[in-house]
Amino acid sequence: MALKGLDIFKLTPKTNCKECGQPTCMAFSMKVAQGSVQIEQCPHMSEEALATLGEATAPPMKSIKIGVGEEEHTIGGETVLFRHDKTFVSKSLYGVSVTDANADEVLAEAAKVDYVRIGEHMYVELVNVAFEGDKSAFLSAVKKAAATGRTLVLDVQDGDAAKAALDLVKDTKPILNGANPSNYEACNALAKEYGVVLGVRAEDLDALYTTVTALEGLGNKELVLDVGGASIKDAFGNAVKIRRAALKDNDRSFGYPSIVNVAKLAPGDERLQTALASLFTSKYGSIIILEKMDYGKALGLYGLRQNVFTDPQKPMTVETGLYPINGAGENDPCAFTVDFALTYFIISGEIERSGVPVNLIIPDAGGYSVLTAWSAGKLTADSIAKFIKDEGLEAKVKNHTLMVPGKISVLKGELEENLPGWKIVIAPNEAIGLPKFLKEFVA
Amino acid sequence: MPFKHNPQVFSSSIGETVLGTGEKALTLGGENVWSLYSFDGAVKNPPAVGIEFSDQGPDRSLPGVAAAYEGAETLAELAKKAEQVPGVQFVAFRLAGSDPNGDNESVADSVAKVKEVADAISLPLVVTGSNNIDKDAELLPKVAEALQGKNALLLNAKEENYKGIAVAAVTAYGQKVSGESAVDINLAKQLNVLFSQLGIKNENLVENLGQGVVGYGFEYIISTVERVKLAALTQNDAALQIPVISPISTEAWTVKESLATEEEIPEWGSREERGIGLEVSTAVASIAAGSNAVILMHPASVATVSKLIAELV
Amino acid sequence: MKKLFDRVFDGADEMFALAQKALDETIAELGENAPVSMPNTAYHLANHLTYFKRQIMSLKDLRAAFEEDKTWNIHEPDLGSVFKTGYATFAAAEVIEACKYAKSDDPYNGEYHGHLSDAEVRELGVPLVTNDIPGFVVIHGKAPTDEEALELIKGYQARGIFVFLLGEVIAQARRLNMNMGFPVRVVAVGPDVWQVAHIISFVNRAAMIFGAVQPGERWDFDDYTFWRIHAFVNAFDPVSDLVVSCGAGAIAMGFPVITDDPKDMWPVPKSIIIQPDTKDFIETSLEARDIKLKITKVDIPVSYSSAFEGEIVRRDATRIDFDGSRFDSLEWVRMREIHEIEDHAIEIIGPDVEDFEEGERVGLGIVAEVAGKNMLTDFEPVIERNFHNFINCAEGIMHTGQRDLIRIRISKDAFNAGFRLRHIGEIVYAKIKSEYEALIDKCQVKIYTKSEDLKELRTEINKVFDTRDARLASMTDETVDVFYNCILCQSFSPAHVCIVTPERLGLCGAVSWLDAKAMNQLDPNGACQVVTKERVVDEHVGIWEDVNENVAAQSHGNLQQVTLYSIMVDPMTSCGCFECICGIETYSNGVVIVNREHTGITPLGMSFSEMASMTGGGVQTPGFMGHGKHFIASKKFMRAEGGPARIVWMPKALKELVAPKLNATAKELYGIDNYVDMIGDETITDDPEVLMNHLSEKGHPVLSMEPLF
Repeated sequence: MALKGLDIFKLTPKTNCKECGQPTCMAFSMKVAQGSVQIEQCPHMSEEALATLGEATAPPMKSIKIGVGEEEHTIGGETVLFRHDKTFVSKSLYGVSVTDANADEVLAEAAKVDYVRIGEHMYVELVNVAFEGDKSAFLSAVKKAAATGRTLVLDVQDGDAAKAALDLVKDTKPILNGANPSNYEACNALAKEYGVVLGVRAEDLDALYTTVTALEGLGNKELVLDVGGASIKDAFGNAVKIRRAALKDNDRSFGYPSIVNVAKLAPGDERLQTALASLFTSKYGSIIILEKMDYGKALGLYGLRQNVFTDPQKPMTVETGLYPINGAGENDPCAFTVDFALTYFIISGEIERSGVPVNLIIPDAGGYSVLTAWSAGKLTADSIAKFIKDEGLEAKVKNHTLMVPGKISVLKGELEENLPGWKIVIAPNEAIGLPKFLKEFVA
Repeated sequence: MPFKHNPQVFSSSIGETVLGTGEKALTLGGENVWSLYSFDGAVKNPPAVGIEFSDQGPDRSLPGVAAAYEGAETLAELAKKAEQVPGVQFVAFRLAGSDPNGDNESVADSVAKVKEVADAISLPLVVTGSNNIDKDAELLPKVAEALQGKNALLLNAKEENYKGIAVAAVTAYGQKVSGESAVDINLAKQLNVLFSQLGIKNENLVENLGQGVVGYGFEYIISTVERVKLAALTQNDAALQIPVISPISTEAWTVKESLATEEEIPEWGSREERGIGLEVSTAVASIAAGSNAVILMHPASVATVSKLIAELV
Repeated sequence: MKKLFDRVFDGADEMFALAQKALDETIAELGENAPVSMPNTAYHLANHLTYFKRQIMSLKDLRAAFEEDKTWNIHEPDLGSVFKTGYATFAAAEVIEACKYAKSDDPYNGEYHGHLSDAEVRELGVPLVTNDIPGFVVIHGKAPTDEEALELIKGYQARGIFVFLLGEVIAQARRLNMNMGFPVRVVAVGPDVWQVAHIISFVNRAAMIFGAVQPGERWDFDDYTFWRIHAFVNAFDPVSDLVVSCGAGAIAMGFPVITDDPKDMWPVPKSIIIQPDTKDFIETSLEARDIKLKITKVDIPVSYSSAFEGEIVRRDATRIDFDGSRFDSLEWVRMREIHEIEDHAIEIIGPDVEDFEEGERVGLGIVAEVAGKNMLTDFEPVIERNFHNFINCAEGIMHTGQRDLIRIRISKDAFNAGFRLRHIGEIVYAKIKSEYEALIDKCQVKIYTKSEDLKELRTEINKVFDTRDARLASMTDETVDVFYNCILCQSFSPAHVCIVTPERLGLCGAVSWLDAKAMNQLDPNGACQVVTKERVVDEHVGIWEDVNENVAAQSHGNLQQVTLYSIMVDPMTSCGCFECICGIETYSNGVVIVNREHTGITPLGMSFSEMASMTGGGVQTPGFMGHGKHFIASKKFMRAEGGPARIVWMPKALKELVAPKLNATAKELYGIDNYVDMIGDETITDDPEVLMNHLSEKGHPVLSMEPLF
């Protein structure tokens, strides 16, 4: 249970010294409770208070960092089983699995998937290199994989091969996914030596649990848990049971991110791998390894991931500005809606469907839907008119027709006053009515 | 040290709704564990997968679709092909031609089409009308009348037209009906309460909580389905203990990602694979959130999703 | 005068004699093994199935059944026996009709409709159950003139009421070429009284199909027909004993009989109504059967849509300017007795728009007089507040303000399109009737434009406003039996539930206890539902077991308890649309309140939006709480922590707004005069230490209160 701001406040010095950067101890405490400020930023907290807070605020699931520089990623750190309860914080990472034989082809194909959607860079973050018994082939594959600059997952249980591979890529903080109930001590030594995160696997959850507690006993808490590849059913069951044990039953020995290799669960069946990757994106896969990645899989999968890992309290927004649709130019009419990403997508999609060129104006509306933004005062005749003037849209677009979302038609009068010379037109209440409306409008 | 597994079996369960008749009848719902969590307890009726085609015919520009419907021209022939697609447990038929903003075909013509499809198949039938409130209010009762004895499911009675559709479908003609609400647990509940006030029992209902596709605000759909199922299972909220159906097909195939041709965006590759990807990801995420049935368009999506379900439960 | 019971019994005997004769003749002609059935039904002879659970297949079966019918024809002078005799009459009538159908599948040769098929039952049953057809009438006998017959039938048809005709009225309608048949919802059932059996068969089958009522369960049938089948009978003079006996059956089913025949007729409220003027049959009938007709259209010469809600009518485009700031004006919803109102009457008292100069400014009074079984005077202001939306949606009409401070402009375009004062009445009438269907049965509108009338009305309405305000002031959380919840905001804040009480309106400031009550009346399944407060845990701080249960259920388990009058222990959550937030100020042990409009920083070191981000989303944040502006001066405001004496800082504008009431509350609770002056604001300081100095200087009561934690 997260601490309330008031509980934290009781432990602060209550001096309002402002050294933490906050104007009052109360403001500081509220922000710590909210998670937007770290408790350590108060220089006057007593050791005792810090210990109390540290224990209470310690997450039930570890946040683990892998990779370096721009390719550093955080996994884990989740606090809830359902996104509506708070938010999922660390998005699932996707990787492709390579061997020496297929590395060139697989990596070249995966590299093509590289795009930005609603401010998020979509690409294959990880490369999994599988050891198949031939050390030199493995090392060759590691080299090819390392050349991509992506963070690696070394799927190798052979100590010798693992060490050789780590020698090659030790500076990039890969995951050494190789510990099992019989080799964990040696693997642990390697992971410590090279400062990398250790992946742990076992034939069942009991053995996995035993191995993890043993590793914790050796002082290693930089772990990820492999949910196994015996069967789809086992892998899913393990992923859920591990996450639930950590978050619901507060069992911190399972409070680590997971790794799921769907390439092993459905070898050769790419569509089934898409299905599995979707399943584990929804439910508790921190790292998901597929055989291949292409746009056929990525558009759905990355879209799902973007949605699942959206903070329910902070809606996704698109950038404000002028979006000409269907090749709209200065002589085409304008319309506006809000910067809430979902609304933008729906409205722009319907305008596209209509085939009618429209200049879609997106002002700052606080990321709310149309009605919410309007009732919260984030979308007013003033704010729209100001945006149009500040952005110089009156000069950019000669056609001074402005379509207003039907639900806020109440703004018509004020808009007419604020935007003299503009023709204010009421568009339909629902987006689905747009194609018909637009076609009739220009007819 | 053994791991302590705490299975989560709920004391409440989702109600069961039966579609179709005879050996091929399909039961939706009934579970008292979280969707697909067969490791917690038996999943009474695994999520079902249906295939949809419309009265406008299949999109034969997609090779996989063209192959599945090869040689089928009439609606009856199409329906027979649809029910033979591997993994299909029910057939969904969409009366796209009835849309008043489209062909605005007469009720009699639409009813004749539904009859033709219904008589051709033995799997349970799900019918989607025009999705126009006024037209459906007129059309769906006539569809229900024509399908007497089939125990079909009529989709999408909304708050504005539920009365006539529900009373005709369920009470007068013995079909099942699905309400459609707009991605909001309270609206879903309210609609179900209204059904019960008409004397319609849960066993005759399915609910469509509002559908979308991954990438397009799908988080709202996930959270709505999850919250509905949590309320049903943990709070024993009878008004929400109704199987959930997710009509994904049209949503998945009408966004840019599945509409853009290979000429328009060459780097995206095969349009067919993109559409299947969207359909599969959306279906799996819907089922993981708690949906009891998904409606898909592409035979490959149907095969993939049903295969995954078979592996899991 | 012949007693009503005797008329029923004599009529029943007549029907039984006719049935006996028909049965004997038919058996003689066809033999007792001849089959008998009605076409296209799975319910055999439905009335016999209903009453006696008999599945009649042959004339032999029919004869045996008829013997059982006779056991219901009991001449005992009690209501139960009379009703039973009425049903027996229907059964006997069915015997007569069955004999006809035993001889032919189509005994009426298309001239009359006769039996209704199951398909017809289903087709008509659906709209009856859903109220899309508001009810049906059975018209029997001969109207005074053919024209009156036609007018009556068409009157029902125009109101969407399904019409069954029996007897000579059919010939009357035919003489005037009335188009009849199932599709036009006027059915000529048959020439004689006993064809009523087909209508009763229709009703009984509807109960079995749509109500799942089981054969033989007479009380269930009665219940179903009374509550679900909105039917009634119009019987023209002369009404024979035979018709009276059928009427007994109809009344038993809950269907009133309206007649213009006063001879030997005994009026019974809601059951037998004598209406000498057949022109008033429709209104009398609808009222007797409680049938409300849906209003779907606003009858005005300009467009009506929410698209015009924000339209501004400029000075130079104005034909007439009703200006409440200069001339006495008002709008008023006034509850009346039902008999005082003529539904849909619209009266213009004084000159109309065309009688004024172009652009002239004058006064206007709109008084909507309403009545309804569920209407309360408390709802008057709730409805009144919506006049703004109602009137504004008309194209070319602008409305602002409320009560006696309104302004309405009618544009030249609207005037040229024919818009007159009557149309304001039409709008108000149509919207009140459609939006408040559950509350209002009748509505009439009076529109005043004469200054002397307006002056007088304004004096009167000001007294009403005073009464209303006094009523609101006297309403406390203790004086009401229930609270309401409001989950309007759950669409974006799914865990939040507002508990709305008389002293604590919704935190958005928009939903008062009365609003919630009215919303609940209008839509019992909607966003506002009753919250009981029977199991008190602690009334002082505001804890009730039933309130907690409601919050837990409505938040789908996210919240377990709330303390209504505390901000420290289980405070009420917020959705995010609060008018104000209060948060504890730790130096003074008091609270700071900031309203949405204030953009500056508060002594807490946080602005409104920073505080809002911590308090919204349905999460309990002890020490912080969202609330409406009007809650500040309430005696319940953080009563658990000592009440409004905890307030140490508010933005100046907010202070000024709440000062009169807050000062009065402080005077009453603590005996302090001008309490608001002790409270800090941004013109004094936004620094907590300077604020402490201010509080000390002023002797603010918070300084002597217990620490908050």
